[in-house]
Amino acid sequence: MSSDRTPKYRQEIQQMMFVSGETAEPSVETTTLIEDIVRQQVVEILARSTALATRRGVRSISTDDLIFLIRHDKAKVSRLKTFLSWKDVRKNVKDSDDKGGADAADFAGADDPMAGGVVAGPQDVASKPKNKRARVGLAWDVNSFYSIQVPEREDEEDEEEEEQNYATLQRLAAADERTKNMTREEYVFWSECRQASFTYRKSKRFREWAGFGIVTESKPNDDIVDILGFLTFEIVQTLTEEALKVKEREDREKNRRGGAENGAETKKRKRETGLFDPPEEGRTPVEPRHIREAYRKLQATPNKNIAMLLHNGRLPARMPLRLI
Amino acid sequence: MSLGHHNAWLPPGHLRPPDDLLDARSTNGYSKTFSGPRTPQMRGSVDADGLHAGNLISEADTTAEEDPRVAIFRDLYNRTEAKISSLFSGGKLSEGTSSHAGVGSGPDEADTKDQRADESAPTPNPVKKPARKLDDDDYDDYDEDDDADAASPPPPKSSAPVQPPTAIPSPSRPSSASISAAADAAKEAKKESLEDIRKKLEEDKKATEEAAKRSFHTLFYTLENDRDAMLDQQRLEESERQVEAEMSGQASTGNAPTSGSSGYGSLSNANLGASSLTLKNLIARIDLKRTMVQASDAELRSLMSEVRKNRSKWASEDKIGQEELYESAEKVLNELKAMTEHSSAFLTRVNKRDAPDYYTVIKHPMDLGTMTKKLKALQYKSKQEFVDDLNLIWSNCFKYNTNTEHFLRKHAMYMKKETEKLVPLIPEIVIRDRAEVEAEERRLQLAELDGGDESDDEPIMSSRGRKAPGKSSKKGTAPSRNTPSGSEPPGGSVSQPSAPVRSNSDAPMEGIQNGFATPPPGTQTPSDPAGAGSVAPGGQDEGMDIDGLGTLTAALSALATPGIELADPEYKVWKQVTKKDRALIAAERHRLFKGDKINSDEPALLRTKAGMRRWLQSQKQVSAEGDSSNESGSRAMEPNAAGETLAEGIEVEEDRVIPDYYDVMSGIPDLPAHLIWREDTEGNLVDASEEFLRILPKGSFIQPDSKLSRKMDANMRQMQETRKICSKIGIVKQMQLQSQMYQNQFQKYQPEPFAEQDTLPHVMNDNGPIISPWVCKAALQRSVAKVFYHTGFEEYQPSALDAATDMASDFFQKIGETLKSYMEAPKVPVTDTVEPTALSQWKRAYTEPEMVLHTLSSVGIDIEGLESYIKDDIERLGTKLTTAHDRLRSLLSELLRPALQDGGEDGSMAFADGSEQFVGGDFAEDIDEDFFGFKELGLDREFGLANLSVPLHLLQNRMYNAAQSQNTSTSQLITLFPPPPSYPRISSETVASQIGLVQSFFKAKLQMNNNEPLTEDLELPPKQRPMAARPRLPASGKIPPPSSLPGPTSSPQKRPLPASAPGSNANKSGNTEPSKKKVKKNSGVAMGIADTLGEDEHPPGPDGAKTSNPASNKVKSEETAATAELSNGKGRVNSVISDAPASDAAQNGNNGTAVPLTNGTSIDAS
Repeated sequence: MSSDRTPKYRQEIQQMMFVSGETAEPSVETTTLIEDIVRQQVVEILARSTALATRRGVRSISTDDLIFLIRHDKAKVSRLKTFLSWKDVRKNVKDSDDKGGADAADFAGADDPMAGGVVAGPQDVASKPKNKRARVGLAWDVNSFYSIQVPEREDEEDEEEEEQNYATLQRLAAADERTKNMTREEYVFWSECRQASFTYRKSKRFREWAGFGIVTESKPNDDIVDILGFLTFEIVQTLTEEALKVKEREDREKNRRGGAENGAETKKRKRETGLFDPPEEGRTPVEPRHIREAYRKLQATPNKNIAMLLHNGRLPARMPLRLI
Repeated sequence: MSLGHHNAWLPPGHLRPPDDLLDARSTNGYSKTFSGPRTPQMRGSVDADGLHAGNLISEADTTAEEDPRVAIFRDLYNRTEAKISSLFSGGKLSEGTSSHAGVGSGPDEADTKDQRADESAPTPNPVKKPARKLDDDDYDDYDEDDDADAASPPPPKSSAPVQPPTAIPSPSRPSSASISAAADAAKEAKKESLEDIRKKLEEDKKATEEAAKRSFHTLFYTLENDRDAMLDQQRLEESERQVEAEMSGQASTGNAPTSGSSGYGSLSNANLGASSLTLKNLIARIDLKRTMVQASDAELRSLMSEVRKNRSKWASEDKIGQEELYESAEKVLNELKAMTEHSSAFLTRVNKRDAPDYYTVIKHPMDLGTMTKKLKALQYKSKQEFVDDLNLIWSNCFKYNTNTEHFLRKHAMYMKKETEKLVPLIPEIVIRDRAEVEAEERRLQLAELDGGDESDDEPIMSSRGRKAPGKSSKKGTAPSRNTPSGSEPPGGSVSQPSAPVRSNSDAPMEGIQNGFATPPPGTQTPSDPAGAGSVAPGGQDEGMDIDGLGTLTAALSALATPGIELADPEYKVWKQVTKKDRALIAAERHRLFKGDKINSDEPALLRTKAGMRRWLQSQKQVSAEGDSSNESGSRAMEPNAAGETLAEGIEVEEDRVIPDYYDVMSGIPDLPAHLIWREDTEGNLVDASEEFLRILPKGSFIQPDSKLSRKMDANMRQMQETRKICSKIGIVKQMQLQSQMYQNQFQKYQPEPFAEQDTLPHVMNDNGPIISPWVCKAALQRSVAKVFYHTGFEEYQPSALDAATDMASDFFQKIGETLKSYMEAPKVPVTDTVEPTALSQWKRAYTEPEMVLHTLSSVGIDIEGLESYIKDDIERLGTKLTTAHDRLRSLLSELLRPALQDGGEDGSMAFADGSEQFVGGDFAEDIDEDFFGFKELGLDREFGLANLSVPLHLLQNRMYNAAQSQNTSTSQLITLFPPPPSYPRISSETVASQIGLVQSFFKAKLQMNNNEPLTEDLELPPKQRPMAARPRLPASGKIPPPSSLPGPTSSPQKRPLPASAPGSNANKSGNTEPSKKKVKKNSGVAMGIADTLGEDEHPPGPDGAKTSNPASNKVKSEETAATAELSNGKGRVNSVISDAPASDAAQNGNNGTAVPLTNGTSIDAS
């Protein structure tokens, strides 16, 4: 990792970490480290998807290539699909906005003639998303089994959405839990943080940062950049969560060792204070070593990848980088 | 004696001579000279007891005089027997039976003896003596092999001297018999006693061996003593080697003069021993042609010595008695040495380092090694010297080791006992020089010139002079050897010439013998002390006998009673008997190792045929003994022996007294009972195949039925169905795009349902999985392909499938290996004390579920993963497939709407609801999307129509045709009204019945047709019918814009034909048509019209009427043209009128939209 480059996303990373549960202010080293990791991941993603595209005989990366890379993480895929479909919706709405009311009315649906002329905000569309939300089809879906494009139908609920909903709901619940006691200002800050992105409105910076021209030949389109923004957020979040876990374990271990002399009383007292104090208080920020440990854990090679090397197989010296 | 005599024998007792007793004895020995008589001895090798018993009986029968002694022997024997049998109670039964068998053969033997006695009766007295000598010869032999060897040579020797007497009976016979009878009787008795002692010893030994052998099967001896045995044996061998090395130095110097004496000397001069008698002709012949023989003397000699097997290494022509003495002495020595348990201390000289003061205490050291050396150096002149040396060893030991508890004393004591046992076996022989003996004999001859008896005997005796140490017989050897024919009456004169010759060769040896006193003449006299013990006086013999008995009992007790160190007699016997063999085997085994590891340089162990045969034999023996009936056992043995063709005789079988479990390598595993080649009584093979052949159970190679597999199958079926729909949709879409289509353009997609095929019925030889990689691979390939299909691949390349299969098999192999390693994990002791049973002290390290889980996790699979696979990739996939199927089906039905829904597959049901759709022309709205502006008017919404395109099935009749051809039967059944009877053909006869107007037309037609009946249009094949071609709509379903030339839909009536040239003929109108195609299409109608117009108004009538029938049948296909004709036909009567407005309308109409209107008007007009 090149440490010579100046960190460019400190604020974003801080915000993301905040959203992911890190309440204290992480040090510059931490964010720089995270940034480096993220950058490495992004470069890897780009390189691999470029390779995939090349294998398909296409020069430019498509969204399918990116999704293919994370295909095993079903929750993430479905989140990504939702994201893309909403993005599509947003774009369509924007288009129809440009065209004018009549088209917008057409777009909104025949049974709502009054919608014409009104700005078709996301809420509006969300009221009947099934009508217009383009479903993001993947090349390995059932629909591609057949030579004929399977027509869309609106009356069926996608099961995957439920799955994705579950994961999303968990996240939302956690976020809800955290924001429950927030004041208005805090909440504003929180929601600002939630919007933090590597790419949103800083696509140029992102391109330079990720070295687009170097890693991939073609200039990735908006979708790709958005997906990458989504993925980078996920990476930071995963890292932070894992690092927090590491830190928590470390703290617990420390406590147990420290508390061994004093007995259980100190622990109890600590917990009591924890109950009444704001949770942020007294917390130390995540340190680079936690991040490193978290990264190491996330990079551990699962058995599945080396199953074919069992019994007389030779483990390669280096396993390929794992995408977080 | 020839075998001819043998055959002519008389019943026993018939010609028994008075001296039966003696003769029987003598013949007992003599019998060995025959080839046949060897059998008893052979039997002796098989079961010594039997022979023994037989001998006893025959002795008892024949020698009444010797009864007391024999009784003693018998008694002894019985005692031994009893002891042995008490020892080996396991083998007792068979022993008893075998002895019975021996007894059974006893009389037989006696008979043959008798018979032989008869034959030998006429022979002269001398015969007895040779017989005795032969007996002597026997004593020297310790084991059967030697016996057999020794038995074989005599025939030629004896036959030479014996035959002449039979041919020319010597007159002196009776007297000699009578003379010798008295003297010999006593001598012989004594000899026999000695002989019996030896025999007994020998047989006892054999018996112990036998018993030991039998006991091998009843006891299992551990191998723990093998090492000691081996070490002892090694020590023995070491000492022998030492002796050998020392001796070889001497021999090379000592033997040099003899061996290299002559270049091409005559062979007869060579020291070939007595056998030269038998070979004399050969030798003489060789001598004659000596120059032509390429071999050197030494070679010839070695050849000769090979021929005469009976000669031992000790044989010497010059030293009388040397061979016998040394043979026996060596054997005794070897025996003693072989008792390695006790003898090892005495094998070599006492080392000064071990016992510094030894040589101060012991002035005359002696050891077995030194004795061997002395023996080999031929330093012993008599038995006494030898025995003295032996005793010196033990006494030295006693002398040096004064402590009574000393272990060496025990060994020495044992060895001494053994020595006492064995010493009697050495004949009392004093070696004498041949020259001396001969000189003596000559003197004797001269002295007893007239006493013919002895001299008569001599020549014959001489033939086996070698065997008669200390006897005067030796003197005869020289003459017999030197004279070409042994039949010549022997005389001292004849023998004399040979003396000088012999003396030459004797010269080197003379020095040794010189020290000995020349035995006095008349060696046969019992009083001769120098003559060996065989001719010892009675008193001496008595002593000998007692001695012998004493040693015998000692030997027996040594064998039977507890030994020095071991209380278990059986074990002791075992150790003694098998010692050497065990030592050898242990040494062999030892050689295979280097240090503690296997020596890889050693040659591989190979099993030998001989070893296997031996093993089989011993197995059979055991089983035979187990049978308890000896008869059946022996009977079983015989066919087996015959069946043992396993290289019988190819390899020399060395006799080992060792149980078969020592020879592990030769073991032959039992055949499984069901594989044995068994034959029934008729010699047919009993087929045991039913017992082990089995048919591979069905379904071994198909997927077992399970919920999962059923689900997968259902998914795949669903996919196939969906694909079928997809192909239909594709066809429909293609039809819409393409204007021209061919019958076979679209292959019908009709996938076969998947069915797994099992292997053909397969017969297997045994249990266990079927080992056939290709079948297994194919099965796996199929499974992989199934998974592929299930994942959505419709088809795949074989190579891809191969690669995936290989990977799958690799993966499963890994799983298997991992599972195996978990299964083979060392067992762990049971920790929980719930079950204190000793049986389950150890348990597996992992339980079975644990193993599976461990394995799965090591390959990166967990139960959740498997579960989610089933849930997501199979069950959810199924629902997804179903939705996709439904959607595609609805898409297809929308595409084909509404025909396939209401009109059936071919649209024939379109009118089933009785609608007047077509008649009323209300389908016109389908012609174009919004042709009539219905959509604009909002009618489509009003009626809920999704689109307004022309129904596909109306535009294309292919589907109709296809459906028609597919289900002709159904469409025929549907016909509600039978078709009207066809019109009669118009011929010249029936033309009159036609309407008058058309009669002329028909007549003209008939004329053109040569008055043949006119063919109706309907009878023509469809293509030749003068019918209006069907109009075509392009696949888009839109009628081409009117600006173009008259479309195919335009009816003939619409054409400007009548207007342009109502009077012109059809050809002209046809030519005016812009398109040739149109001409063809419209020719029929145009012609009709032209005719109608040109000639009169009637012709269209029948035409129209005829065409109306099919038109009504196929309303759908006829379409506008049909309607035009319909109108034509309907307006048959007023055709002109009706035609005119129609055509007018057509002309007036600006576009094709007039068609339905025309239709309507024409109907209205009609």
